[in-house]
Amino acid sequence: MTEKKLYLLMIVLILLLVFTAFLSEGYHSVLTGFVKIQSHPARLINDYTIIGSEGGALLNCSIVGLIGLFLVYINNVRLSGPTIAAVFTMMGFGLFGKTPLNIIPIIFGVFLLAKLVRKKFSEYIIIALFGTALGPMINYVILESGLKGNMAIFIGVTSGVVAGLLLPPIAIAMLNFHQGYNLYNLGLSCGFFAIFAAAVFSSAGFDLTIKVIWNKNPSTLLVFLVPTISILFLIAGVLLDYKKFFLDFSRILKLSGRLPSDFMEMVSASGALINIGLLGLICSLYVYLVGADFNGPVIGGIFTVMGFGAFGKHVKNSIPVIVGVALSCMVFGKSLSAPGAILAALFGTTLAPIAGEFGFLAGISAGFIHSILVDRTAAWHGGMDLYNNGFAGGLTATLIIAVIDWYVGNKDEIIFFRKQKKHVNKE
Amino acid sequence: MQKKEFLMHLIGEMGNFILDENPSRMVISLHQEEDGIHLCIIDNNQRTEEEIEDIKKALNCQRRPEMAGYYGAMAGHDLVGHARLNLIGWQVKHGDVSSTDNGTKIDLWLGSDQFDHGKFNIPSK
Repeated sequence: MTEKKLYLLMIVLILLLVFTAFLSEGYHSVLTGFVKIQSHPARLINDYTIIGSEGGALLNCSIVGLIGLFLVYINNVRLSGPTIAAVFTMMGFGLFGKTPLNIIPIIFGVFLLAKLVRKKFSEYIIIALFGTALGPMINYVILESGLKGNMAIFIGVTSGVVAGLLLPPIAIAMLNFHQGYNLYNLGLSCGFFAIFAAAVFSSAGFDLTIKVIWNKNPSTLLVFLVPTISILFLIAGVLLDYKKFFLDFSRILKLSGRLPSDFMEMVSASGALINIGLLGLICSLYVYLVGADFNGPVIGGIFTVMGFGAFGKHVKNSIPVIVGVALSCMVFGKSLSAPGAILAALFGTTLAPIAGEFGFLAGISAGFIHSILVDRTAAWHGGMDLYNNGFAGGLTATLIIAVIDWYVGNKDEIIFFRKQKKHVNKE
Repeated sequence: MQKKEFLMHLIGEMGNFILDENPSRMVISLHQEEDGIHLCIIDNNQRTEEEIEDIKKALNCQRRPEMAGYYGAMAGHDLVGHARLNLIGWQVKHGDVSSTDNGTKIDLWLGSDQFDHGKFNIPSK
């Protein structure tokens, strides 16, 4: 029953975006913008609200989200924390990098691998949905590499299918690096894959220079979009269980958020929806306070945070990371509203489980380190991994967890030997 | 033994869970038959009824192929932080938990869809 209501909520959200798109602009402008987005390079950072139009970007975001939701439904996978996070993330990146055309080859590649190893596609569906972060690689081969005509299309689509074929083993291996403390594990996995892809393209003499297209004058419509959706989720959370929603939300705040923390299963859908709504409002407030632009990438970032409000992030474990990123920007004299800084603050919450498990200071440290690293990592993969913060976050989490792992292991050993010594002395 | 790696993951996570409570005895017993495997873990740590219910709930959670196929691989690997029995619960057919005279016994049943854990047990002798 709850799942049906969640489907209804997600469909209302998607329809709201489509309605907003057509209401803000005429039919013609929205469709022209949408078509333009499909044939534009998608590597970081291409803000679709300026490349197509705000309406065209919203339509693209809705269709990408709908594809994700449809795949979850037809594969009989539960609409819960991880799948809601995946659909929200897809929608968010539908505003700056993902299109229906560049996500399908990757999803097909993962599907093919599942068939090859005689597994159900549903077992790898989360990898397939999040793995669409490599969509820009397909656009790059077709539109930017210099290859022409059918050959470019063939190589582009094939590279997407190959990426999909390789992602499941990479993603599973990467989990063990950071042990679940980086929520965007596919960001690390896609980044790892994209480094090799970028090396191949670079060896072939292709240009991988990163350009930033950033909407500096978003409309009022975009400014109020996320707060409106957040309020919708808060109302839905209250209506779902008006007696227990606050108690359930409080219970979510006590969880570390480490992968895989499905708040909808561990606590309740009602508490998770409240968490999603509050995260949306807090992120919007942060963007407003630092004076950043409510454009495609920023709204995409907030959508992603909101999605993970059902799967690992909550107010208590996310804020320390945002504080750490802001602190790092202030120490190194960067503007808090600059594209890199605002995206690091929003997407840096991939490290929220570190704050959830090891405390506020650990979260701030993680955010601080992440902010420094993320500036460099996009160049490594030529902007082909849309989850660049997930990539940098994965490396940061691996570093922190490696140190903690070593410390904990050795601390235990010292205590063990102390006890042994005492035991021997007694004898 | 079939599925060596899978079993190592399960044993690792269960071991992590048991050792979190610092027992002085832990026994792991594994039996394989034609269509199923029985993994039994016994320790000497007394648990409350509530704790036993929590373990049962985690080990008998709803089947989630999307979680088992991907995040299930973390079982037995991620040893920083607390053990998580739901990683195991997504992957086993059934889990029984009971109190013994001086500790707890956890039985995990693995097998195909035809596998009936009710007809399968550790031989008494």
